[in-house]
Amino acid sequence: MFSEARQAGVLSRLGSTLCQSHATEKYLPERLREHVSAAAIQVDAFQRDVHRELAYIQSALSGLQTPVLLLKGASYVLLELPAATGRIFSDIDILVSKPHVGSAEANLMLGGWSTGKLDPYDQRYYREWSHEIPPMTHLRRGTTVDLHHSLAMPTCRIRIDSERMVKEAFPVDTNGFWWRLKDEDMLLHAASHLMLNSEFDRGLRDLWDIDLLFRHFQSSSNSFVEKLIDRSDQIGLTKIIRQALFLANHFFQTPVPEKLISNQDGFFLNLMICASSTRHPETRSGWLAISCALLTYREMYLRLPNRLLALHLAHKASELFKRTEEKKQV
Amino acid sequence: MLILSACSAEELKAALRLGRFRLHVGHLRLKISSIVPEFVCVLQQLYAAHPVMLDGGDFDFEIAISPPTPWRHWLRRNAIFEFCGDAPFEPMEVGHAFAMFEWGLNWAIASYLHNYLILHSAVVEFEGNGVLLSAVSGSGKSTLSAELSLQGWRLLSDELALIDDNLQLFPLARPISLKNSSIDLIRTRFPSARLGPLAKDTHKGTVAHLMAPDASVESNAVPAIPKFIIFPKWTAGAPLRVEAVGSGQAAMRLIDQAFNYSILGHKGFERLVALVRQAEAWEIEYSSLDEAREAIESLVRERG
Repeated sequence: MFSEARQAGVLSRLGSTLCQSHATEKYLPERLREHVSAAAIQVDAFQRDVHRELAYIQSALSGLQTPVLLLKGASYVLLELPAATGRIFSDIDILVSKPHVGSAEANLMLGGWSTGKLDPYDQRYYREWSHEIPPMTHLRRGTTVDLHHSLAMPTCRIRIDSERMVKEAFPVDTNGFWWRLKDEDMLLHAASHLMLNSEFDRGLRDLWDIDLLFRHFQSSSNSFVEKLIDRSDQIGLTKIIRQALFLANHFFQTPVPEKLISNQDGFFLNLMICASSTRHPETRSGWLAISCALLTYREMYLRLPNRLLALHLAHKASELFKRTEEKKQV
Repeated sequence: MLILSACSAEELKAALRLGRFRLHVGHLRLKISSIVPEFVCVLQQLYAAHPVMLDGGDFDFEIAISPPTPWRHWLRRNAIFEFCGDAPFEPMEVGHAFAMFEWGLNWAIASYLHNYLILHSAVVEFEGNGVLLSAVSGSGKSTLSAELSLQGWRLLSDELALIDDNLQLFPLARPISLKNSSIDLIRTRFPSARLGPLAKDTHKGTVAHLMAPDASVESNAVPAIPKFIIFPKWTAGAPLRVEAVGSGQAAMRLIDQAFNYSILGHKGFERLVALVRQAEAWEIEYSSLDEAREAIESLVRERG
């Protein structure tokens, strides 16, 4: 199990959870306890680094006359949510409204972040079609910032009113720099990220996030479920949140009320279950590769309208062809 | 405990194929799986004195050396280092599989064992004195630790110093990785040295592994106490130069060679300070291995 957890990127969270429940001394053999404490040391270091990095980003963007939203992993850390427990992630996601993206990017560049060299196609993909600019990596520290201007791809076939989520964001503390999404929106964003992105190798961790967010928000507000249902209808994520909660319930027994669980689209959900499970060679399903491939096509189909989809696939195919030719020459 | 050399080739092959093989290196227990014969053969040769288990059991790290795709087992043969089912590195040709295993194991230790402060340093022991040989790659650290271990010193590691919060050095005696001209140098000086096959044209040039002394493998459960930090520097034709290094400077140089200093935070700093207070630091520039060894031995004898 530890080997699987390490592979799925959740060993540190598993370790932290075991520590919190004081289960380590009772149930774990000495050898595994060492790895739990090593993972805890790494998580502590990681969270220190996140806070430091947030301070750097804040000082780079302090001149910006617009709210800066913190998204996903980094916001869980800043808000000290249970979903931050033992969570290791590779980049910090921030969002500013579209008119301010240019100056935010310029300010980050002055602070040492850069998008590096991208081929003209990728550059165009990000700049014209995507909801974020290319990832910016810090030249000295190697840390990465993803600068978004929207929560979902504008070209996405599922119409998501992400403007509305951004509009109702509010500051983390009254005179603070960082802004955050409302509770419901935070969960909706996590769900849409899981269901519309092809990062299935991190699927289990993302589902665990959804489980932890749901449990936390539900326990801190009686009306959370109702608010979540209303909100998902407004935003256009009714189906997606149900599917995400179905999966969270499947893997983590998330206490989701009956009315919020989807059981439609059984085939798609089975593919998701397969793709999100651990992928350790000894336990993975034989259908894993096929599930991932089908889900990746689905994701591309959802993200891009037909014309762009045709262009995108044609471009990727020609790149693949070029690479094979180059390899042959070598 | 069962020693690898006491297992038949068939038993070993079956255990490695079925995921039941466990290799003890120091306090670490590794689950190793492989069907790549070139790797299995060198593993059997160079880890002959190490304790093993053939019937499973819990483990620290799970490592597999496998063909990247099934057909690569037969055609255009290649091998990949798998860690917990992930492949963090590019495949290499099968002749490099053992070197890849050694590099991969170093990577796994340096990336995950944060209970220890991990320094890029060879560790040897002489008459009860633990000695760190800390230097950047290519300055003769492995060659010097090979020389010392073949002259009766105890080898703890040619690459990694693992320091716990009681300031003990944890042994990981395993094959020493020799590169390029140092392979012939060691072979000429010690004709009976037990070396594995040459892996040519790796990213570090030609590599061959020297078996760790049996006595060092046998005491792989006994930690050592750090008493000396040596910064060796091999320079062609240079006369022997032995100079004391201040503890502050020693600490700064060790930080440069640390893998997880920043991860350990203030604990890393405290451990490093305790280390340079307890162990005196010396820089040794040399061109002759004999002179270097005699100089270190007399340092340890006089001041240890």
